[in-house]
Amino acid sequence: MIEFTHDGPFAEKADPLFPGRVRIIGLGQTGTAVCDQLVLRGRPSQDLWVLDSDQQTVEGSIVPNRHLLGQSLVHGLGCSGDIELAREIVAMEEEQLASAGSGCDFLILALGLAGSTGVALAEHLIQMGHKAGAKVIVVGVQPFGFEGLSRREKSIRAIADLRRDADSVLVLSPDRITEDSHAMKDVRTGFHVMHQLLAQAAQALSQIVCKRGLIQLSFADVRSLYGRYSGSEVLENCWVAHVEGDIHDSVEDMVQQLFACPLLSDESIWKHVDHAIVAVNGTCDLGLSDVQQLVGVFKDRLPVNIPIATSASLDEETHEKVRMTVLLAMTGPGVVEKPAVEPQPVKKPRPVSDTVPLPGRPAKLKLEPTATEPAPAKPKMAPAPKAKPAPVPVEKYVPAPVEEEVLLEVESVATPTGPGRKSSGKRFVAKQEEMQFEAPTRGRFEKTHETMYNGENLDQPTFRRRRLAIKL
Amino acid sequence: MFWGKSRNIVVALEVGSTKVVAAVGEIRPDGTLALLGIGEGPSGQVRKCEIVDFEVAQGCVRDALAEAELKTDVVIAEVYLAISGAHVRSSNSRVSLAINNDGDEITPEHLQELHDMATAQPLPADHAIIHHLLQHYVLDDGSSTDNPVGLASKQLTAHFHQVYGLATRLQTTIRCVKELSIDVKNYALSSYATAQAVLTRNQKQLGAVVINLGGGVSDYIAYQKGAVVYTGVLGVGGDHLTNDVVSGLKIPYAKAEQLKKTEGSVILDPAEEEERVTLPGAYNFEERQIHRVSLNTIMQARQAEIFEIILEDLQNAPFWPDFAGTVYITGGASQVKGLIELAAQIFPCPVELAHQSPFDGDQNYSRRPDLSTLLGLLQYARQAELEVPATKGFARVSQSLRRALASMKLF
Repeated sequence: MIEFTHDGPFAEKADPLFPGRVRIIGLGQTGTAVCDQLVLRGRPSQDLWVLDSDQQTVEGSIVPNRHLLGQSLVHGLGCSGDIELAREIVAMEEEQLASAGSGCDFLILALGLAGSTGVALAEHLIQMGHKAGAKVIVVGVQPFGFEGLSRREKSIRAIADLRRDADSVLVLSPDRITEDSHAMKDVRTGFHVMHQLLAQAAQALSQIVCKRGLIQLSFADVRSLYGRYSGSEVLENCWVAHVEGDIHDSVEDMVQQLFACPLLSDESIWKHVDHAIVAVNGTCDLGLSDVQQLVGVFKDRLPVNIPIATSASLDEETHEKVRMTVLLAMTGPGVVEKPAVEPQPVKKPRPVSDTVPLPGRPAKLKLEPTATEPAPAKPKMAPAPKAKPAPVPVEKYVPAPVEEEVLLEVESVATPTGPGRKSSGKRFVAKQEEMQFEAPTRGRFEKTHETMYNGENLDQPTFRRRRLAIKL
Repeated sequence: MFWGKSRNIVVALEVGSTKVVAAVGEIRPDGTLALLGIGEGPSGQVRKCEIVDFEVAQGCVRDALAEAELKTDVVIAEVYLAISGAHVRSSNSRVSLAINNDGDEITPEHLQELHDMATAQPLPADHAIIHHLLQHYVLDDGSSTDNPVGLASKQLTAHFHQVYGLATRLQTTIRCVKELSIDVKNYALSSYATAQAVLTRNQKQLGAVVINLGGGVSDYIAYQKGAVVYTGVLGVGGDHLTNDVVSGLKIPYAKAEQLKKTEGSVILDPAEEEERVTLPGAYNFEERQIHRVSLNTIMQARQAEIFEIILEDLQNAPFWPDFAGTVYITGGASQVKGLIELAAQIFPCPVELAHQSPFDGDQNYSRRPDLSTLLGLLQYARQAELEVPATKGFARVSQSLRRALASMKLF
């Protein structure tokens, strides 16, 4: 009787060297629309799920893997913005949600941040994902300014909560597209454009974290831009632009279309942007020179001098097509307004047995507190400013005026031609001269193999990865 | 030069990222060890304990051995080598055997058979074994013992902790020494060697984690109930602190290293918010003022990250929930200010600076934590020599001759 066992890193249960299973889950009404957009854009290689408590939304979705939650509690009518009710649904559907949060390496959650079902589900799925060893990226959109104060406050609180637990949180502001005449043609088009932008961001992220191609970025790059904050929180931190074209199309035309995208046509964003990720995806004929040309032209047209990280991957199914997605990021506190509400602790579902059951809800819901697992690379954030007791005034988004000093540095903040652009009449001059395809130098460890841990290159200085401020 | 049959000389060699050191010791007839002397020199082209430039590294090894020979008046013919590097892995394994003899009595042959079975276990491709460390034996009733010979049991299970590394990396380090016509008699994992120098038998029994903060890597080893239960190597060490300072403050490497040692701390003190440190000028370096808080922030972030990663690794190991021991910290990078305070904030158990066990001989090196591994390796060599008779007579003469011939070629 001879028995051999191993529990080392090469055991069967050990993780594969290059994990890459991505699952995109649309949460709530907005998330469902985002996943629908992904299906409409072509056969997605990712595992798509849709979860909501609104029967109409779920049944109207074209995503095959869709789930209606809390049927017995809300009868398919949704939560109507009641976050506590949404958390009860989450507690009730824990078994079903367990399968949604496991079995993948990267979990991308798309949701509207002012919703209730989406936010409650996101809180739970982040924990489930971390328990299963997955990295969780949240792609969320704030409500429009005209949607009201309460929804705005809810979104601010949701952002703070999600940023505390998720590995990366990308927040888009739909108010940016109010400057775009096409997007604001009618309400339906406005929301459609916003959903498209979220879908493009989710798809670009999935390409970056899992696809292996010509030029490889990793989850660490995403987390370094959207996962850590040194000192203070910001709300909007992501701007997306996407363009698709034929491989024989003019590069200049493609880049021009890119700059005409709704979020980039608002020239005030260049005050905030400090990093960019360019994800290029194309047919097998796509060469390094093509990528270099695309990124080079893009860089020339950029009105600010920012570092650009590029990912290029090949896709056999995109016949003679080239897709270019740009994710702009603001990593520092910047000049964007600070949250008026401090991060709240994760609220445990309140025990229903202690309260009087609401009409139409089951009185005996066994709710057990779920174990909280810290995110592997949780940023050490300084506490956000204290919440003001007085209600926060409604702030309709007004593009901040370009300050004098920025003008001096940038020379021109005009964007290229597009339907909604605001040109200053000056020709902008790009500052950046060289492409940055490679990671920053590792100094003394340049000749050695990289020491990687949880997707981070430990040879890079820690203070830089954690974006700690250094006084020189 | 003197060497004779009566002297049982053991030499320990460590090719580190910062320096190459060789210690010469003598095992006295009563079995005790006396340190005769140490030769050391700066290490060149060794990063994270792996050789980057073979010829440069070999030159450093030769210089260190030559200095050791000069100081101790001993001809070095064979060495015990410390092994480390981020490629080193470990796992726990167990092998079982049915006892079928009369009375089901366990004999030494059974133990040997279990050991053979453990060594025959397959390793991952391209890996070679470094250690098979016995943890304990378990009888058929579930009871465990360190020596089951004479006991009766229908089944005997041996628990081992095995350490292995990439064969090519191990070969490179060994070849670097062997090409100087010096035999590598045996090798030991750096952290295992370190533990021999800083842990007593009682500490191993109570439970202890030894973290050896080196220049290129940070080794750690965990003991519980007297047995090794976990080993790990993180490819980040004191050089990374210096490299971060270089990158953050934009100063040359040598200045950063000096600044780290003299002014740096891994504890942030709010009182030092506005304090500045003056970097003296040199012929090619203008005098500069550095914010102390910047220096300390850079160092604190890196050192805290190292501890956090080690802690996370330990917490994922099966032994951790029952661990009630102490974390001992040693190594060259442990001399930085505030290290124990920082470690105490991170590890949820007592943290102490490790102290070397007393030894006979040259006492000039007794208070240097950067030599813990080397002195521990000497202890390891002593134990090995006492178990197996040393090479003597003609074999030793032939080794010396080979070395003399090789030296003629090299020069």
